Amino acid sequence: MLKKETIVLIKTENLWKSYEMGAETVHALQGVNVMVEKGEYLAIMGPSGSGKSTLMNLIGCLDSPSKGIYELNGRRVSEMNDNELARIRNKEIGFVFQTFNLLPRASALHNVELPLIYNGADSSMRTEKARRALEMVDLGDRTNHRPNELSGGQRQRVAIARALVNNPSLILADEPTGNLDSKTGKEIMALFGRLHQAGNTIITVTHEHDVALYANRILHIRDGQIEKEEFVEH
Amino acid sequence: MRHVWDSIVLALQALWVNKMRSILTLVGVVIGVMTIIAIVSLINGMNAYVADQISGMGASTFIVDRYGIVTSEEMWWEVFKRKPLRYEDMEAVADQCELCEEVGGRARTTRTVKRGNQFVDNVEVRGHTANYPDIINLDVERGHYLTEDDYRHRRNVCFIGYDIIDNLFPGVDPIGKEVKIDGRKYRVIGFGERQGSSFGRSEDNYIHIPLTTFEKQFGTRRSLRIYVKAPSFEQMEETKDEVRMILRARRGVKYHDDDNFGIMTAADFMRMWENFYGMAAMVMIGISSISLVVGGIVIMNIMLVSVTERTREVGIRKAVGARRQNIMFQFLAEAVILSLLGGGMGVAGGFLLGYIGTSMFGLPTGVALWSVFLGLGVSSVVGVFFGVYPAMKAARLDPIEALRYE
Repeated sequence: MLKKETIVLIKTENLWKSYEMGAETVHALQGVNVMVEKGEYLAIMGPSGSGKSTLMNLIGCLDSPSKGIYELNGRRVSEMNDNELARIRNKEIGFVFQTFNLLPRASALHNVELPLIYNGADSSMRTEKARRALEMVDLGDRTNHRPNELSGGQRQRVAIARALVNNPSLILADEPTGNLDSKTGKEIMALFGRLHQAGNTIITVTHEHDVALYANRILHIRDGQIEKEEFVEH
Repeated sequence: MRHVWDSIVLALQALWVNKMRSILTLVGVVIGVMTIIAIVSLINGMNAYVADQISGMGASTFIVDRYGIVTSEEMWWEVFKRKPLRYEDMEAVADQCELCEEVGGRARTTRTVKRGNQFVDNVEVRGHTANYPDIINLDVERGHYLTEDDYRHRRNVCFIGYDIIDNLFPGVDPIGKEVKIDGRKYRVIGFGERQGSSFGRSEDNYIHIPLTTFEKQFGTRRSLRIYVKAPSFEQMEETKDEVRMILRARRGVKYHDDDNFGIMTAADFMRMWENFYGMAAMVMIGISSISLVVGGIVIMNIMLVSVTERTREVGIRKAVGARRQNIMFQFLAEAVILSLLGGGMGVAGGFLLGYIGTSMFGLPTGVALWSVFLGLGVSSVVGVFFGVYPAMKAARLDPIEALRYE
């Protein structure tokens, strides 16, 4: 295999996250070090309560660490305030959730446009970009449908289009097949595979080994620490 | 600017989804603004009416009558015990007052006026001195007013208002024709310009006859109103004092006692109006501020419900990059639009109320354009004031918890 030149996208150093639960302090993450390169397809795996969701929230800039350093694209995210984090989420990260998290009363197109609204793009450009993103996930003919007029697989594809629309550095998928039947789940995972092929960096968070196996590398998390690292040959 | 527009569109969409709820939410604001508009229209209309009434009187004219301006209940009981002002009192003022430029008198009653088998009810029948038009402005349309000769010779002549013409002389020139008051014939010598109506009462339903003829027909027991014109506004106080002295002497008022008659100037009428005006403004402020506060609380309540219902939406928006101020503005815009809608409906309702007041009860109303801006301004202030808290609550939601919210 040829060794390509690599660019570090994500670098965490000794990442801690602690919560006050009444009198007790729970340490959800206890010194996690992760390095992700641009163009990688990584899976984070672990049972519930392992801290994988906490790690995902930190990587996704929805939360700030209690201790440690997180750098995304060379910028120190761990020291940013709320508004700066919102900006990072908008520009750098595309979320795909287990429950799709679409606005129920808005059309597929409007849902996909949402990140662009907070990007300050003008409306004609917004529509154009959103339409292209929907075409990329084979929903070019469903732009005016509302989520309740779409199947689960289609909804998740709308969510993926929304994640893609702003050309983020990272697509962060949290149990993306958790609410789908296995056939549709496979289709969605195949779509992630294609997106990876196209050069996107993808991180999936899951507790299913089958889903994790689509990635090139799997990080196993347990009790807030990285238990082991597994490389997958395709 | 784009954010602003997007927020407004979003807000309208959200309100449209809950149409019924949105409309019910508005009731308080609608009533509040409606009150403002209706009362401003009324005050505006009355202002014009009062100004019109007073302008006829002139700044150097005053009126003396038995009652004056009654300002308290005690006074109300006292004035009824006063002696009427007699014809002789008027004569005495006319003879003895040196400053007075003109002195006139008036007695009044209400009668039915007939011509053949046609009749007009509730006509204001007034006995006047011939110099009335010299003291109070009167617009003669055709013919002429009562003359000194008519007065001296107690002639049965009359000067009429338009209601009499409309009812008794449709399509006929009334001048020279006769009408009957209580069986007595009066020849029409002139008529005044059409005045219209105010407070539901026609201003044209009058008939003026010489005061002398009036007392011959209806007797002398009625108290007169005496009109006095001072030489100038500057000499009005002196003139008033002179008239007071004459009347106090004639009516046997003791040195320490108050006048047993009242003197009123245009300024007094204006003051009376201003008192009323102030009261109306207080009522307006009272009713509208109560309903606006209630309306604002209802809006705040519904916005809190809306924020809770849409917690997940807020989470999604934050996840894709909405900042606090974006969320804040979205919900604030919704609250303001909601109350502005209420304000708009209130403005429309207020004008409708004014229109009904004018057409059904003859209240003088006038649309003031600035009251539209006042109404809309007040309602948007209510929206901002009561929308800030729910919007802040939405903006402060933690994205992780909001996304997890069921």
